[in-house]
Amino acid sequence: MRLAGWLTMRVAAAAATLIALSAVVFWATEELPGDAVGTSAGPNATDAERAAIRVSLGLDRPAGERYLEWIGQAMRGDLGESLLTGRDVGEIIGDRLSTSAAVLLPAAVVIVVLAVGLGAAAGLRVGGRWDRALSAITLGLVGSSDFLLATALLVVFTAWWPVLPAVALVPAGEELWEHPDLVALPAIALALGGFGAAMRLLRASVAQTADTGFAEFARLNGIRGVRYVWMVVANAAPSALHGLSIVLAGLLGGSIVVETLFNVPGIGFELSQAVAERDVPLVQGLSLTLGAATLTILLAGDLCAAMLGRHQAHPPGVA
Amino acid sequence: MKSTTARNLAAAVTVGALLAAAGCSEGDPAGSSKSAERTLRAAFAGGGSSETLNYLAGPTALDFVRAKLVHAPLCELDPKAPDGVSYGVVETITASEDLKTYTLRVRDGVKFTDGKLLTSADVLYSLRAPMLLKGLPFTMLISRNFDMDAASAPDASTVILPAKSPIADGREVICQTTLAIPDKTTEFTTSTPSSGPFTIESFEPGQSTLLKRNDSYYGQAPALEKIELRSIPDGSARVNALRQGQVDFISAVGPAEAKTLETADGLKVTNSELPYASYLQYTMNIKAKPFDDPRVREAFRLAVDRKRIVQNVYYGRAFVGNDIPALGFPSYNTALAQRGHDPERAKQLLTEAGAAGIKVELTAGPEMPGMVETATLIIEDLKAIGVQATLRELPAGQLFADYPAYLSWPFKAGYTPPAYFEINHAPGTFPDVDALVLTARSAVTGQERLTASHQAQKLLWEKGNQIAPVFVPTINAASDRVDGVRELQFPDLSRVTLRN
Repeated sequence: MRLAGWLTMRVAAAAATLIALSAVVFWATEELPGDAVGTSAGPNATDAERAAIRVSLGLDRPAGERYLEWIGQAMRGDLGESLLTGRDVGEIIGDRLSTSAAVLLPAAVVIVVLAVGLGAAAGLRVGGRWDRALSAITLGLVGSSDFLLATALLVVFTAWWPVLPAVALVPAGEELWEHPDLVALPAIALALGGFGAAMRLLRASVAQTADTGFAEFARLNGIRGVRYVWMVVANAAPSALHGLSIVLAGLLGGSIVVETLFNVPGIGFELSQAVAERDVPLVQGLSLTLGAATLTILLAGDLCAAMLGRHQAHPPGVA
Repeated sequence: MKSTTARNLAAAVTVGALLAAAGCSEGDPAGSSKSAERTLRAAFAGGGSSETLNYLAGPTALDFVRAKLVHAPLCELDPKAPDGVSYGVVETITASEDLKTYTLRVRDGVKFTDGKLLTSADVLYSLRAPMLLKGLPFTMLISRNFDMDAASAPDASTVILPAKSPIADGREVICQTTLAIPDKTTEFTTSTPSSGPFTIESFEPGQSTLLKRNDSYYGQAPALEKIELRSIPDGSARVNALRQGQVDFISAVGPAEAKTLETADGLKVTNSELPYASYLQYTMNIKAKPFDDPRVREAFRLAVDRKRIVQNVYYGRAFVGNDIPALGFPSYNTALAQRGHDPERAKQLLTEAGAAGIKVELTAGPEMPGMVETATLIIEDLKAIGVQATLRELPAGQLFADYPAYLSWPFKAGYTPPAYFEINHAPGTFPDVDALVLTARSAVTGQERLTASHQAQKLLWEKGNQIAPVFVPTINAASDRVDGVRELQFPDLSRVTLRN
């Protein structure tokens, strides 16, 4: 039952983090020069027209009052309405989240498969030719920006060898996940950007495990082949899982660049638009969703690590 | 032994990755190209989920392009027409002798898609809608000039608008943006009755709109059956979509991208012609030093090499400006000499004003193509006459976000969409110019009005506070199967034809 107690603590901490985050995001959006009045009024509005828009958007009230009202509603599950269009923020987030997920999930799967496979292969033969080649590639990938990777993919797969669409144009009334060809490039771009770091973490962890007396003992006892690999990877996994969950959570942030470049109307893309338009309720809703998703992934990572490492004498670090 | 294991594992992973990649690469690279033959797929910058069917509240070009395809204009600005406007669902607009009352006659037989006849009640409501539905300021031009509470519709085909003060250019005011919507419309949905050449079949904000031909449209029937409007905010993503044949037409192409698209097979690049070019201006605040001295303002204007901006920033796709607005409109003062590039005279003026070697900071942001690049060249030109000039570049969306701050900056970039000079003149800087503009809008004879307008422009040319080096057209690109795009301020796609 220690696990249940630990989990409760973590969830409570995550909720507190989200509340703090909402205050920080609100304050940051307030601090940015300008507001939704300026972005929607355009350059030729008169002062009276600006004042009227400010009142109609409710922006004439003090920031503290608006924040308290917003958080009160958010606690009851109502994220409010977009300042500019009056659309329900929860609805917008639902749409955008499912589009983002269509790209993020395949990218996450590719990252996990590549990181585990290649990380294990390299970690079992540290210093070998295979390991050196992989190190060079992954360091190159880690060092490249998402923008560069995405552009390189565009050049290769849409110009030199035009087999994939450059822009994710989903036919009206359909969803992005129904079109794997549209998902391919953005997902690969994200996976390439993320897998390097995850793979290096697992490689290090596998190498360390393979170096322990316990692994040597197994080898001396004649454990070979798939059984040996599985044993080493399973023991190396808990410490690498933390790293992997951080990489996966980082995908959410990295997706803004990729979503813009491939025109995926996802959550990161919507957030950058909402910030530009100073649409405070939408910025709040989107950033809290991103924050909640990140915390969930990190928590899931820790939980998996705890399950894998349950034979350990000590419970996982209590947050 | 260990090495065999590792190699097997590596081989398995490689095969897996290749399979995954092969699985992903299936499918049609052209994406949604299976749509019907007579469907035009057009991409605009659009916006995120803030895109709206309510054109009164939608600030993007896409919102207005879509609205104009769905709701017929009352009338449109047309500098070549005798009245300065071409008529739509309103057949004629006449002004009373004293210029205090305007009478609009509604065209007979225009129907909405729900079968109802369009009457004066609908026209009157369309004119009042910006006030009633809290439209954005650009839609407020009518209520600034007419007393909309006193406006009336005495019979089914007449609307009477009393002007707040006598104006001769009421037609241009009425026709700048107004579209015909049904009386009592309070929200805009896909089922709001339409009076335009197309109706909305589906709409997903920030993604796509599918429009279908309206067979009961009163005007020239469109050749296209459908138009699919796409939002692709990123400029290079728009270009990529066109290159790959995912769309047939894109709007708002950057000058550098236009240059590379010009040589592409099967594509054509076009730009709007005058007067449909935006007035790009760099404003000097005359309340701040050193710009309170007209000699400094003139020196700055003489320092700028306009031809270099046209060539280096716009690759020839821009029109040289003469520091006054509304190039190409009928009342533009063509008698003024084109201001040239004269750094020597500029230095001399600065010395006379005691402002040699002065420090200035120019604020600009990427709010329209080439705004920041032009600012960079202006800074170079100013340095060449000894001014210690620096550029403050703001991220996208910030230049106008805090408008009072914008107004207070001493030297800043801005732009005005193509429009008549007189009705869009913002008073408050030069009282003598304001008085002349008032005369230009209200004098009884056309000659008096034109003389006053030219005089106002002359004053702005002599002592004004704006450097307007270029007028910037909208650049569009399309597959060469596409014909018939009308390149106005925003492209009008209603008369497009598609060849196979």
